[in-house]
Amino acid sequence: MREVDGVRLTFHLAGINNQNFLMRDEETGTYWQQITGAAISGPLAGRRLTLVLSDELTLATWKSEQPQGSVLDDVSRYISGYAARDWDVHMQRAPTVLDFPEHALAARDLMLGIQAYGASRAFPYDRVLAEKLVKDHVGSEPVLLVVGPDDQSVRAFRNRIPGVPASAGFYRIAAEPSGVLLLDDATGSQWNFQGCAISGKANGLCLEPIPMLKDYWFDWRNYHPQTTVYGKGN
Amino acid sequence: MKNPAHSPRTLALVLLACLALSLLCVAYPIYVIRPFRHQGARELALALAVIRYRPLITILTAATAILALVASWRAQPLKWRRILSAAAAALVVVLSFLARVNVYELMFHPIAHPSFTAARQVKLDGAEKVIAVRIGPKARAYPIRVMAYHHMVNDVLGGVPIVATY
Repeated sequence: MREVDGVRLTFHLAGINNQNFLMRDEETGTYWQQITGAAISGPLAGRRLTLVLSDELTLATWKSEQPQGSVLDDVSRYISGYAARDWDVHMQRAPTVLDFPEHALAARDLMLGIQAYGASRAFPYDRVLAEKLVKDHVGSEPVLLVVGPDDQSVRAFRNRIPGVPASAGFYRIAAEPSGVLLLDDATGSQWNFQGCAISGKANGLCLEPIPMLKDYWFDWRNYHPQTTVYGKGN
Repeated sequence: MKNPAHSPRTLALVLLACLALSLLCVAYPIYVIRPFRHQGARELALALAVIRYRPLITILTAATAILALVASWRAQPLKWRRILSAAAAALVVVLSFLARVNVYELMFHPIAHPSFTAARQVKLDGAEKVIAVRIGPKARAYPIRVMAYHHMVNDVLGGVPIVATY
């Protein structure tokens, strides 16, 4: 969210910062760090932008959920510079300036990172895709990582059904046209990929989504030095 | 009696000091903020402070350099020394312009005036990855193919000003 103290800020890309970037707002000349949303130099130094929840989804999945939505257009004069769809395969070979070989992880291993409930935890992306439903904890809170019916989009939710005291046992089923993707054994309800129950006792209730960042291991670890890693015994 | 402050040596030192300060103002941020280099928090804050103050600093050094050049011109009759002083002053002036340029702001092209197509009409392949945001009833998707190039879009969604970054 780019409003601070009632002032709407317009951002420019002002530098490269540990392979993320720096932003400058026109209105105050303050410099901000993209990865944290924190202002590090200038009149607004010390302030932080409010994160807006976002998901990385396939277009098809998003369209099925938000048929009334709008999609950003290409900017015609730059189209020739746009990446091929497999850009991330090429990126795997690019060098990094930081390396954290803990847990036998390579710098460019893709992770799904969650910073919540006073803790940081990284989930190896390929492993989450393979397991399709991960039941785990971040800090002391139970969480679910759910792979969508497209077998590519991933969302994270807090595993607390309103009105149910403990975390529920969730099961993922093969996707149905109705949108049912998950069942829980606490209320016997059916849930869709948006984390909302569409039938059963919990009908109409939604699980709380948790912001999740798809990031390279070196970058996640650089900004979350205390992070634990799913599947690595911690 | 000659004013010692206007001795050629003093003025040459002033010129050199101006040049050194301007060079530092332009070079230090370039050194710190560059690709494939890790930045610590303190040096980054320092580099950004230099970026913010250098337009003013370099105007002052340019003015000082020009004054020193003018003052030394008469006192320094040797042609090669005059040329050297003039070149140094010219360089200080050039640096005062460079100090106003951030090459990253020239190289990258964040989208300033985004346009959108309704989900039903969009022609992209369903397998394209998007960053999906919803504010109230308004939903928007930013295709990664576009975001990976522009890196940033200043937008307004459901009345809320947001900046999408990648």
